[in-house]
Amino acid sequence: MSSNRFDSPLTPRRQLVVVVVAAALIGAVFAPIVYANANEPSGTVAVVEIEGPVNTALADDVENELAEIRNNGSVEAVVLKMDTGGGAPVASERMYKAVQRTSQQMPVIASVQAISASGGYYAMAPADDIYVLPTSTVGSIGLNAPAPQTTPPVQGPSGPDKAGGNEIQGWARQQTLADTFINAMMAERGDRFELSREEVAHADVYLGTKAVQNGFADEIGSLNEAIHEAATRAGMSEYGVDTRETGPDGGIPFLVRTDQQVVAIHSNDPGYADVEPMGIAYVHWESVPHVDTIERFSEDSLPVEGTESAGVAGANATGDTAAANGGESS
Amino acid sequence: MNHAERLAVAFVATLAVMVVGATLAGFITADGAAPAPEIENDHFTDEDLLHDDTPGEADVTMSSNQPSRTVLVDPGVEATGGAASPLALIGLGGSGVADRDIRPLANVLIENGHEVRVHAPSAGAPAAGPGPSGQSGAETQLGTKLEDADAFVTFDSEYSAAEREAIESFVDGGGTVVSMTDPDEAFDQPGGAALDSTLGVTTRPGYAYNLAENDLNYQRVYAEPAGESGLTEGVDRAVFPTATPVGAAAGSEAFRPIEGTQLSTTRAPTDAPLVVRDGSVIKIGDADFLSPENAQRADNDVLIGNLADELVASGAAGAAPGAFPVGGDSPPEGPVVREPPETPADGTDAAA
Repeated sequence: MSSNRFDSPLTPRRQLVVVVVAAALIGAVFAPIVYANANEPSGTVAVVEIEGPVNTALADDVENELAEIRNNGSVEAVVLKMDTGGGAPVASERMYKAVQRTSQQMPVIASVQAISASGGYYAMAPADDIYVLPTSTVGSIGLNAPAPQTTPPVQGPSGPDKAGGNEIQGWARQQTLADTFINAMMAERGDRFELSREEVAHADVYLGTKAVQNGFADEIGSLNEAIHEAATRAGMSEYGVDTRETGPDGGIPFLVRTDQQVVAIHSNDPGYADVEPMGIAYVHWESVPHVDTIERFSEDSLPVEGTESAGVAGANATGDTAAANGGESS
Repeated sequence: MNHAERLAVAFVATLAVMVVGATLAGFITADGAAPAPEIENDHFTDEDLLHDDTPGEADVTMSSNQPSRTVLVDPGVEATGGAASPLALIGLGGSGVADRDIRPLANVLIENGHEVRVHAPSAGAPAAGPGPSGQSGAETQLGTKLEDADAFVTFDSEYSAAEREAIESFVDGGGTVVSMTDPDEAFDQPGGAALDSTLGVTTRPGYAYNLAENDLNYQRVYAEPAGESGLTEGVDRAVFPTATPVGAAAGSEAFRPIEGTQLSTTRAPTDAPLVVRDGSVIKIGDADFLSPENAQRADNDVLIGNLADELVASGAAGAAPGAFPVGGDSPPEGPVVREPPETPADGTDAAA
């Protein structure tokens, strides 16, 4: 049997010790990873923040996040963290459609913080349930628009409605727009509203305590309670929470200048929709950095103890911004 | 095949199996987004959702064959020469009614041989507040013009005491007065109650609205005749874009809002009239119903024609305050060609 043994200066007993120690060392390296994987909850509740004015940038983000969530096998439920007083009709409709599609695939619960009104209410209406705090504000189902005016003759346009309009046609268009909103809300929650369509069309807002009585909301509860309810509906006894931030990072945009103009950037990590060329702006010129001087910064760029790496990661981080600067609106 | 060749073949075969297998696995497990299922949103495609945006047509006519009368219109513009509101300079918050807004009424009067004059107080004239000490109503610019008028149409509510005295004398002399007011007037103009008191009419705070049945907006309410009169003849339904309920101390109601109308201040149903008549005074709780666009809605064109008939029904021109009895008859002679009034210094008076 001696021919089956390695020709080693170590005795068989020592060879065994070496093998065991080597295995232990390798195991020690991989054990935390295996433990973490084994210890992770099986599913995730994604919390999508819908906060601030409803605009194109917010709708872009919400659509993208919800699309990713629908294609992400680990996300099994969604909570919409609502804190918005509304905004642009089209952006509201885009979020409405995205939430509607998501709610057909997994539990979706809206959790209202301070307010979810008008376009905000529009966006969250397809959720399975709406959670409110007692002093949250919801409602305002309607259109806020100035009265259409007949405009004086304008010379130049190719047609009478290109740069002007008829008052009656304007009224009809606005009423159609308002009814689109109201009808959608009646379709989504008409069976829960304790109010008639006419009463809903008053566009009133309600405190949470009132909203759970008249059907504008379903439950009094906090964000955590909404998350737990969403997980329960998805059949998860244990779950992780993944918060998705959306929309502009703060209400004040970053101002950056190019060789031709000043642009407002509404996001820390801007896409095309977050960059808004400013036709006229009053600025302290020296305080507005040139786009070529802008560099991307992230947590990974922070200096790590024992290393000298710091600062920026990628000089082309402003590619979107720079590209958008040259664009003309059409 | 020697040992080295076998090793090479085994290596290549193994590598090929792995690469091909990985490629196939990649295709099979590709995680691109599947086609999204169609979501039916019937509420977006409902045919009833689209509101008719046809502006409509208007045919404003008069049935009266009265001789030529003079109708003075006060569009409510402020006296020139004073400090203009900065908002008015950019088209916001300006007072008064634009020329085009009274054209349907003015045009039908002109077409039927009547004279329309526009009162725009000149600089330095008291537009509001107490008049100069000792000034009588007839001595005001408005009083002077009213002496030559048979009817007075006003969109203003801000008159001095002397001007209100002139208006009262005009009514006492048989002149017809049509006072129109908008709900928002109560928010930014003083003096409305004083004029109402002079005319013996009332204006209720708030505006009428109807969410169930309206003309393209909840504030554009429909109103129906409250009885048969010259004002309501031939009118089935009229549109009042921003109407406030009005009343009269002793008069008749001409138009009431349709069922389902509510009042903004009470959020309760209301059938308070939007047009009332007290003798030769007509109070209308709206100033927009006779604009060119609104004249084309419902039977507003008929109502405007009726209003024109009422304005020329009686003649009071030339009456010194109190000289003519109320409801004085028209002069015995035929159409009267009047001398044009003196052109005011600022030239703002316009005669058509």
